[in-house]
Amino acid sequence: MGKIFKTKFTTATMVLIPVCIGINYLGKLFASLLKLPLWLDCIGTCIGACLGGPVIGGICGAANNLIFGLTTGDNITLIYALTSLGIGLAVGILARMGFMSSFLKSFVCAVGGGMAAVLISTPLNIMFWGGTTGNVWGDALFAATQASGMSVALGSFLDEIVVDVPDKILTIIIVYLILKGLPKKVSALYDENAQIERLD
Amino acid sequence: MKSISLYVDQGSWLNKMHPYTKLLYILTAIVIPLIGGEFVLFPIMIACSLFLLASGGILKRALPLVAFSFTLIVVIFLIQGLFNHSNETVLISIGVITFYKEGVLFAAKIGCNILNMLLSFGVFVLTTSPQELVDELEKSGFSPRFGYIINSVFQILPQMIATKDRITDAQRSRGMETEGNLFVRMKAFLPLISPVVMSSLINIRERAIALDVRGFGRKQKKTWLYDRPKYKWDPLIRIILVLLMSATIVWRVLLCR
Repeated sequence: MGKIFKTKFTTATMVLIPVCIGINYLGKLFASLLKLPLWLDCIGTCIGACLGGPVIGGICGAANNLIFGLTTGDNITLIYALTSLGIGLAVGILARMGFMSSFLKSFVCAVGGGMAAVLISTPLNIMFWGGTTGNVWGDALFAATQASGMSVALGSFLDEIVVDVPDKILTIIIVYLILKGLPKKVSALYDENAQIERLD
Repeated sequence: MKSISLYVDQGSWLNKMHPYTKLLYILTAIVIPLIGGEFVLFPIMIACSLFLLASGGILKRALPLVAFSFTLIVVIFLIQGLFNHSNETVLISIGVITFYKEGVLFAAKIGCNILNMLLSFGVFVLTTSPQELVDELEKSGFSPRFGYIINSVFQILPQMIATKDRITDAQRSRGMETEGNLFVRMKAFLPLISPVVMSSLINIRERAIALDVRGFGRKQKKTWLYDRPKYKWDPLIRIILVLLMSATIVWRVLLCR
């Protein structure tokens, strides 16, 4: 287990974190530009998690929401820092366990990240907004479950699942394709098994 | 390049106030209505934040923040008003649609909570520069390496947004469709985002080397170029805020007996 959480706090990982936060922002920007009904705002967190491991992934996620919450108007994201932290950790752990090594295996990673998001977001949604998520499709489903008399917790849970799991699957596909095309000289910076050989 | 931070220095008393005092105000504004448990505390705190925003001359700039949450609040009103489980008393009915009193009250509470949070955060966000916040955090023992992360987000983002605009234009000029049905828009996502992401990831290596050359990894204590002018009312305001919070807690505890 020790190897899964092994983290190198080198300059390269310190530089990776702000870049990942920038990527998160861009993902969200493009999603709203193309009017996609998904968030796609954790691409950077997942890249950070796959390259740097679960600890860096968690830091990327939490720092992302804290920074945007405290400096831009988007204060609502502040509460979801916990969710992002969970996504980063879950994806990082699964990636270190080898679930990013092939296209099909990466779906396990996506579902793991999605479920982490659902499990953490649902209580937050119920606590703060009475169960809605702010996504059109999810909230329509939530309204339907409430109309048919289901409990708030179950409705909110389903509301999150229909939004978060497809969102994370698409995110991980993008991350997988990007990491696949990353030059070796960059990915070698984050190889947790890399060893420095001394010749003297 | 446009900064993503909403901060503008207007030289107002809110600008001069220490960031921690403003953070303490946010905590107070959120905690008092939640602990106090009385609905009337929400409007009081909202009015308080509005007064602070007005006194700093930033009321107008706070409006977009509120507009942002407007759809969320409307959705909450619709769903809770129509389908809340404790709905019994009819408030108004328009045709087949009936709004219930219990749901609307519940939604009003959530809506007020959102507004209260947004406005109290507005007081902080619109008057504090990220740089100043990071400097103060570092002075009170926050790791400078993490301080770097926060600062560099604000340097990297405008660059990345500029790259994004360039790549969007380039892909469009090659005939890529960015409008149309959902599938077309979905398909456009990858060719748009991957060049920006790739180039920023590749730049990491150079950035890391440049930082290392300048002694980023050194463990010595860092010094500051700017000294923050002290604001004389800071201690007093902090004491008042803490007193208000403890008063609410005491009041609630006494009430529960």
